[in-house]
Amino acid sequence: MQRLVYNMKYIDILERKLGRKATKAEIEAFTVMWSEHCGYSHTKGYIRQLPRVGFGGNAGIVPLDDYHFIAFKVESHNHPSAVEPFNGAATGVGGIIRDILAMGARPTAVLDSLHMDKITEGIIDGISDYGNSIGVPTVGGELRISNYYKYNPLVNVMAVGIGKNEHLIPSMAKRAGQVIVIFGGATGRDGIHGASFASEDLTGEKATKLSIQVGDPFAEKMLIEAFLEMVEEGLVEGAQDLGAGGVLSATSELVAKADLGAVVHLERIALREPDMNPVEILISESQERMAVVTSPEKADRVIEIARKHLLFADIAAEVTKTGQYVAKYNGKTVIDVPAKLLEESPEESIYDYTPSEMPKFSWIKFKDIDAHEVFERYDYMVGTDTVVKPGYGPAVMRVKGSCGYSLVIHSRADLGFQDPYWAAYITLLESVRKTLAVGARPLAITDGINYADPDVEPEGLAAQMMGLKNACEFSNVPVASGNASLYNTYKGKGIPPTLVIGMIGKLEDLNVPRPKKGPVYALGFKDFELEREKILWNEIERIAKSGHFVVSMHDFSTMSTLKSELQNVGLEMKLKIPKCEPAHQLVVVFGDVETKLPKELIGYVR
Amino acid sequence: MTRSFPKAQVVVYPGSNCDRDALWALKYVGFDAEFIGIHDHIDADLVILPGGFSYGDYLRVGAVAAREPIASEIKDFVNRGGLVIGICNGFQILIEMRLLSGALLQNSTGKFICKVVELEVSDITTPFTNYFIKGERILLPIAHGFGRYVKTDELKTNVVFRYTEDVNGSDEFIAGVSNNDKNVIGLMPHPERSIERLICSDDGLRVFLSAFNYIKLKKTQEDQKANAKVGV
Amino acid sequence: MPKYQFVIDIQYKSNVRDPRGEMIKRVLNDEYRIPASNLRLGKSIHLEIDAESMEEALKLVDKACEKLLVNTVTETYEVRKI
Repeated sequence: MQRLVYNMKYIDILERKLGRKATKAEIEAFTVMWSEHCGYSHTKGYIRQLPRVGFGGNAGIVPLDDYHFIAFKVESHNHPSAVEPFNGAATGVGGIIRDILAMGARPTAVLDSLHMDKITEGIIDGISDYGNSIGVPTVGGELRISNYYKYNPLVNVMAVGIGKNEHLIPSMAKRAGQVIVIFGGATGRDGIHGASFASEDLTGEKATKLSIQVGDPFAEKMLIEAFLEMVEEGLVEGAQDLGAGGVLSATSELVAKADLGAVVHLERIALREPDMNPVEILISESQERMAVVTSPEKADRVIEIARKHLLFADIAAEVTKTGQYVAKYNGKTVIDVPAKLLEESPEESIYDYTPSEMPKFSWIKFKDIDAHEVFERYDYMVGTDTVVKPGYGPAVMRVKGSCGYSLVIHSRADLGFQDPYWAAYITLLESVRKTLAVGARPLAITDGINYADPDVEPEGLAAQMMGLKNACEFSNVPVASGNASLYNTYKGKGIPPTLVIGMIGKLEDLNVPRPKKGPVYALGFKDFELEREKILWNEIERIAKSGHFVVSMHDFSTMSTLKSELQNVGLEMKLKIPKCEPAHQLVVVFGDVETKLPKELIGYVR
Repeated sequence: MTRSFPKAQVVVYPGSNCDRDALWALKYVGFDAEFIGIHDHIDADLVILPGGFSYGDYLRVGAVAAREPIASEIKDFVNRGGLVIGICNGFQILIEMRLLSGALLQNSTGKFICKVVELEVSDITTPFTNYFIKGERILLPIAHGFGRYVKTDELKTNVVFRYTEDVNGSDEFIAGVSNNDKNVIGLMPHPERSIERLICSDDGLRVFLSAFNYIKLKKTQEDQKANAKVGV
Repeated sequence: MPKYQFVIDIQYKSNVRDPRGEMIKRVLNDEYRIPASNLRLGKSIHLEIDAESMEEALKLVDKACEKLLVNTVTETYEVRKI
């Protein structure tokens, strides 16, 4: 028997909009749709102010070359990973992969940003197990070890995919008369109230009583192949993956975005648990499911392809022109509300933030770890498109027969603690430096907001979002997608504001500079002045293009990973670590170069 | 022989994920290559069982895949002298099918390992290794959790590749073996990932090149015999 | 000190999904035509405990399970003496 959650924040607003008292089913539905995780109440306003490109679909998209687009997004699975690290991390990978897939792109890479108090085996194994099984290489990431994340680990997973332009799938229905096929694994009681769970403080029993979501990577792999086959055959007119909020969220979003409605037949959803009641079927967050919008005459073929791939499939809904979202079970209406109302989660006020001058930051150091012990558990080579593997810094992939692209995932929680505005700003700038260092040109970013309690501390969030906006405008790098995870607190104590940025860049020349024997120099400045930043960028670009290996790190005292990687290829690196401020404008270059930046010899490689 | 050009087929099991990589390598070398499914028929000179996680590795690695309808096709093909390469999960499947002897168990570290390792080519008399020099050291990547090779039958174990140091606890550092007739080979490392220096080494290229040229040579010899009979 | 032998049978909790078991059951049903149902894939640990009495041994086994062998969030276990 499912315990109903009555203490929904926005009941008053809901009943005012409905013009009557809400039914039990409606309360369940809106608790999920208007939760922070699904509704973005506290962040919608800020996100609207960001410079955006290719935004609004399941994942962000930017053109890569004349024939291909690149889809990418970062997503968090923090709360589930705190309760059950293995499955929390695994299902995190699964979810973001489906977001990429839904755009009509084949997932080509995964990167993870992990903030934990120690190397949590469960989280590493979860990502490894799932990513390896579905055959998507995990090519990079960041590992930040600090006590601040003891009760609230942050698991942010970024996925990237490449699709052909003619296969780009809209994340919405187009016209009345279309049908929605839901296919994938069977539906159970997984994660019921997971969406609202992610919007709550993690103290106590609440956290463990909920159904743990368990991933099925085999089903996911079959889902990827089935969906791509449907796309190839031109059967997919719109798509949405089923994640937070399950059938309800996916089907209502698909029609609401197009000012249409839907009639959903819940009895057609394949179940794996007996006696599920209609509301449970509606909001279940069972993994590895996808919603495909197609024309009625194509539906049989869609279902045939799904079943050929050992997946369940059926026509779950019809698209209507009424604008009403009607969910039925064996003909009996379960809910009947305006589709747009489900999407219009109440917006919390956003705050203006006036940036002050950058403070003098203190060093808060993360543990220096040789990341080999982590990334050698991920298959980073499957697909034979990984040009620069983990261990050197940014990853570089290629599209066979075409160009390359760089992938960076980066954050500065150590600065976020002290000044969220400047932390966000510097994170973006450092991501640009890393991208330029491999000879790539930044295209766009995906942002992962990880924050504590915005109701208690709204200013930090406002500061962080303003920092991100201003930095994007300064750098001329737009935002293509993003994610927000709020309420990362334990017994009222919160994590430092941690903005994770995933940046994609484009490379024409796949001959990326590699480390060579010879002298090593520190170039640039040990402190930070914004006016110098673009000069630094020009120099990095020029030096990388001339074939020299450039390293851009926020903390040069944590070079164990690079050192160990060089040892693997028979090189020994001896360096005097350059001393710098937590916010600096320094890069390390292998080989002697002509430069207008201050240059200091700091060691050698032999 | 109805075919004049070397043809290869890659068997795609539910859950295989290195199939596209295998096709890429085969085409790179010049094979007429295609995918086939578990209900299809074999019509090729070379069959590849690719890497991946067939059936999720849910029961035992390679166990369910080894018992699919195509298993009998593969066995007949092997009996006719056809060439088969099992890579990683493909090797595990060949072992479960008993076309190769031995067992593949969990790595001694208990963890999945992905890295480039050095191998020694121990047997250059197989159709897959005739482009190497005996004892040659090459670099190939591994990516597996269940790669520890355990010898079970001394007489039926023909070692083709060995790691040059202990990588996963395999007996005698065995990385790849063949059957006694040497037309079936299984190896844990991924030669299809070592086709271009840009991505890894290009040592894997020669595995496919060896097979390609072995098949071409055989065809030429058969054609000559056939022409001789006819008195051309 | 006497040795006591046990088998610990570990299974996922009933409200936690077992995709491996589901898949294996489907293969048995569909391909091997064996009407199996409720197939759960778990693990079994055999061990011996040095203790003064069966009671003490059982307490120690429970401790081993709670502290290490079992993921008490997702798994349950049953101890059998052998």
